[in-house]
Amino acid sequence: MRAKGKVKASFKLIGEYLLSISIFILIWQIYVSTHDVPTFVLPSPKIVLKSFLELFSTGMIWPHLWTTSWEVVVGFLIGVFLGILFGYFFAKIDWLKTALMPHIIFLQTSPKIALVPLFVVWFGIGVTSKLVLIVSMVIFPVMTGVILGIGSIPTDVRYLMKILKANKWKIFSKVEMMYSMPMLFSGLKVGIVQAVIGAIVAEWMSGKVGLGYILTYGSATYNTGLLMAGIVVTVLVGIISYEIIDLLGKYMLRWHDSENLSKIN
Amino acid sequence: MQNDYCLKTHNLSKVYHGLMKEDTIALQDINLEIKKGEFVSIIGPSGCGKSTFLRIIGGLDKPTKGSIEYEGGPKQDLGFVFQDSVLLPWKTVKQNAGFPLEIKKIKTKESEERLDDLLNLVGLTEFKDSLPRELSGGMKQRVSIARALSYDAPILLMDEPFGALDALTRDHMNVELLKIWQKTNKTIVFVTHSISESVFLSDRVVVMSTRPGKINEIVDIDLERPRDVSVRETEEFQEYSKYLRRIIG
Repeated sequence: MRAKGKVKASFKLIGEYLLSISIFILIWQIYVSTHDVPTFVLPSPKIVLKSFLELFSTGMIWPHLWTTSWEVVVGFLIGVFLGILFGYFFAKIDWLKTALMPHIIFLQTSPKIALVPLFVVWFGIGVTSKLVLIVSMVIFPVMTGVILGIGSIPTDVRYLMKILKANKWKIFSKVEMMYSMPMLFSGLKVGIVQAVIGAIVAEWMSGKVGLGYILTYGSATYNTGLLMAGIVVTVLVGIISYEIIDLLGKYMLRWHDSENLSKIN
Repeated sequence: MQNDYCLKTHNLSKVYHGLMKEDTIALQDINLEIKKGEFVSIIGPSGCGKSTFLRIIGGLDKPTKGSIEYEGGPKQDLGFVFQDSVLLPWKTVKQNAGFPLEIKKIKTKESEERLDDLLNLVGLTEFKDSLPRELSGGMKQRVSIARALSYDAPILLMDEPFGALDALTRDHMNVELLKIWQKTNKTIVFVTHSISESVFLSDRVVVMSTRPGKINEIVDIDLERPRDVSVRETEEFQEYSKYLRRIIG
């Protein structure tokens, strides 16, 4: 019964989304046709759709889409790995946290985009500087999640592990990691969005390939239709990667209270 | 057999050093010998250090002074039941009960079967695939008892395990615990603040006094076993309860 209700509810939600977006596009189309707006300022939805379809039908999009996706995935994974690693050691070793936290906070609060030119100087205009930017954007939310998660473990669970004579690796892999999952996944959700932003911004600055490059190219050539089609593609990449993490989180956290609130309502 | 000790403490003391105020002596020179297969309760007013004492026996806390001798040597396996069930919320009842086997890497076909027997013993066979959030407080505590028994440690330490349960469930769990104790021949050290619970369960009741935490008196409970709820109605039971109430004061 509940599963059926869930499917019905999600169909309803998708329907509402589609309706809302259709109304928006309709207003956009009416505005463009009734007012004399130059195409390079605001192309009609039809032109954007045509550019969008052309990107795929000519196959022009694939190398760019592939490059950006690859950067996002690799950068995200490295960032997650380092975030968990740093988070664990920061949660465990107080002096390390005291020593490095100021630098990390500095790195986190500084607008990363401001660091891109520096990364380009240090790592060149190749893929390395792009990955460095993405990794730097992903690490912090993941690390914070792990630190909070490990800190949230009840004392009695630590006692239990001590009674069972569990070693550090067992404690980490069997208990700390799982207790960190809820916090970790909220970190991952922020992280994946940051990773896409990082990839696009890095591509603006350097290189001749990637979705970010399509945007700057469309802008520079006043091909606003292409520019907006490119934006739509980046939005889709963002949504899809976010949804993958969200679904994974829902699966991993099916035991957790936050996933069962809907049953109460 | 009955004269063999299972664990002994020698002049066990625990002092908490205060930075600004006087040191707190939680435990002072506790000498206690617990026999194999015995059911011993430790009772006393809150703050008398009974939980600290149990944690030290369990190796969860270090004594300031003194030592503990286990029959099985310093690496003695112990089972511990906490006041809260401390179940892992992502694991099912069976996985929680078998968690020690997973940690100690002693999962075999036999241990799996033993686990099923244990779940049967604590009456949770039907719920073995449920998650902890689907269980009542009493059921959760039964899972944690099964977990403490799963790796067959000879000593079971219990820190007010039924303190958070309602009176009816508590009485029921007491009867169940005695059955489990009789079937498994464990040595049980049981911390409680309920006089009737300690009389009902124990061979001996250790009464502690507060500040500094010391053993006040050890009372032998000579009630016939096996005991069931009707024991509570007997005059002897009432006498023991009255006596304990007086010395705890």
